[in-house]
Amino acid sequence: MTWFLIAFIVVIPPAWAVLAYNRLITLRVEVKNAWHQIDVQLKRRHDLIPNLVTVVKGYMDFEQETLEKVVKARTKALSASSFHEKAVSEIGLSQAVSGLLAVIENYPTLKANENVLRLQEELTTTENRIAFARQFYNDLVANFRTKIEVFPDNIIASVFHFRPAEYFSADAEDRALPKADMSARPK
Amino acid sequence: MPLTFIEIEKQKSWRIGVLLLALICLYFLAAIFLLLGLSVIFPFLFLYSVTNPLNLAAIFAFSLIAGGMHFWFAASGAVQRVIRQLDAAPPDPEDSLHMQLINITKELHIATGNTRKMSCMVIPSLSMNALAVDDLNGEAVIAVTEGLLSKLSRAQMEAVMAHEAYHILSGDCMETTVAASFFGMYASALEKLRNIDEEKYRGYHPAFLLFWVLVRLSQMLNMLISREREYRADAASIRMTRNPLAMAEVLYILSRGWTGVGLISSGIEMLCIVNPEPGELDESEGWWSNLMATHPPISKRIKTLLMIAHMNKSALKVRPEVNTGTGDMSPTGEVSSFACPSCKESLFVMSYEKTTVHQCYSCGGIMVENNKIPRILARREVPCTDRIRSLAKAVLTDNQRNLTVRRLRSASIKLSHPLKCPKCRNTMFRKFYSLAYLLEIDRCNVCGITWFDKDELEMLQCLIENKITASIALPGLEEEA
Repeated sequence: MTWFLIAFIVVIPPAWAVLAYNRLITLRVEVKNAWHQIDVQLKRRHDLIPNLVTVVKGYMDFEQETLEKVVKARTKALSASSFHEKAVSEIGLSQAVSGLLAVIENYPTLKANENVLRLQEELTTTENRIAFARQFYNDLVANFRTKIEVFPDNIIASVFHFRPAEYFSADAEDRALPKADMSARPK
Repeated sequence: MPLTFIEIEKQKSWRIGVLLLALICLYFLAAIFLLLGLSVIFPFLFLYSVTNPLNLAAIFAFSLIAGGMHFWFAASGAVQRVIRQLDAAPPDPEDSLHMQLINITKELHIATGNTRKMSCMVIPSLSMNALAVDDLNGEAVIAVTEGLLSKLSRAQMEAVMAHEAYHILSGDCMETTVAASFFGMYASALEKLRNIDEEKYRGYHPAFLLFWVLVRLSQMLNMLISREREYRADAASIRMTRNPLAMAEVLYILSRGWTGVGLISSGIEMLCIVNPEPGELDESEGWWSNLMATHPPISKRIKTLLMIAHMNKSALKVRPEVNTGTGDMSPTGEVSSFACPSCKESLFVMSYEKTTVHQCYSCGGIMVENNKIPRILARREVPCTDRIRSLAKAVLTDNQRNLTVRRLRSASIKLSHPLKCPKCRNTMFRKFYSLAYLLEIDRCNVCGITWFDKDELEMLQCLIENKITASIALPGLEEEA
């Protein structure tokens, strides 16, 4: 009985520690992978925007401001270095693109143009993909953060220095802006 | 309910396990009933009681094997079976609406974390419905009818696809696919037996009893297909699209359109977003309906979604922009590689009803690939001109008279100069589009194209849109009577 107890004490805690550690590593890799998925979609958007701007420029003489906003937001997003900067600038770009897509709706000549329609669909799907990738990433981050903070997994997390991943979202002050609602995706 | 698609996927395996267990139990019960029945009819054949432990073990072993085999056969090739049955085809990337569907499917993969490969298909039907099928081969398909695709906006289509994706990820599809195959297989076997019986056995076939018991038991499997799963799928759709109103609008549109009665057979109706032929059970509430029906009442689903959206029913009356065509034919600037079969001039690629057709500028004839015809017909929403309407009616009456005369004389159509197919140069067949819509068209059966003379395509659209059909009776005789 004593030997059994000793074996129990010697085997169970290390086995649990290995399992908990592996689980945390898996979650961290999943979070990283989800972030790369967002990155792929962001790159797709950065490549698409110049095409759209070139096509719609001639038709939208009175909407230069909207176009400039998009171009500026894209430049800002491209130059962002830190994770936080990137998150904030990309959300700004999303809003600018949503504005542009809404404006296109008001131009019947633009809507009749096959090229514009194709680009509009491409941009709409890219915006959706970014939103969904972001949602999926944030779900995984929530899972990871919960795992790090709950007992007894938090012991392993602190021993091996697992840091909570950041959510892909705007700051509180950004959210206070009137257009910060990401749910208003283009239809 | 789990909040994320990651958690939904995790729940799948145990639910499929429960289904397998239910199948084994059903076979066990069927075998017991059958043996009990036979022991009453032929007592001398059964020396030992059915309740003998050894016999019970043997019956259990049989049900284990039968249940396992059934599950495997039902769930392994289900997708291909259903796709063949509905004549569904992959979307055409050159068609803007189909491209939208492809894009939405890609978005779904991202929203669900690429945990499951899902592909989309289009059913060439003017009805409005969508369904999801899944099987053990790892294939999962969301199929949408051409009619639904043309009537919904992008946001609404996203809602439908997210709803169906939930069914695939949660294992609902696997459950329904197996349950549908169970019912469909035995019901058709029973139907075949009935036909044989009348001729040879006069109603007494040994397998008749077994299949009758199995059909009755398979109906009980409906109890496992909870109608709650539709509410859960609606909720998952909202979580993805953040747009409860879009889902409510979809259900509202579906509740007022043709959802495929007659097209979608009774075996697969439980796979659809709404039951194509809702019975009294589907539209009522109470413990018995909850137990037996596969779909909840549409009105309750709409009410729940509107409540989440903080809106009332009047919001549904405002129809958002839909994907119907403008009815205008505009040139794409491309010259087609085919020549007009009638006047031999080059054809031009034209954009029409969000797809492309080939038109002859000289005679006004149009060449359309057969798979594009249902799309064009489904996307028509602009009222046709008075000229086309009166022309269509006149042609229809004329053809009706010709057909009746021809039938009475048992003659066939004889053309002095049959047209040659612009693609393969084979002779095209001149035939009616259908017996309901008596418009003569030229069709090449080798390469699957149809030639419409000037105004014929618009006339066909007008006849279908306004449901103007030919009556089979002789107009002359009707007047006399």
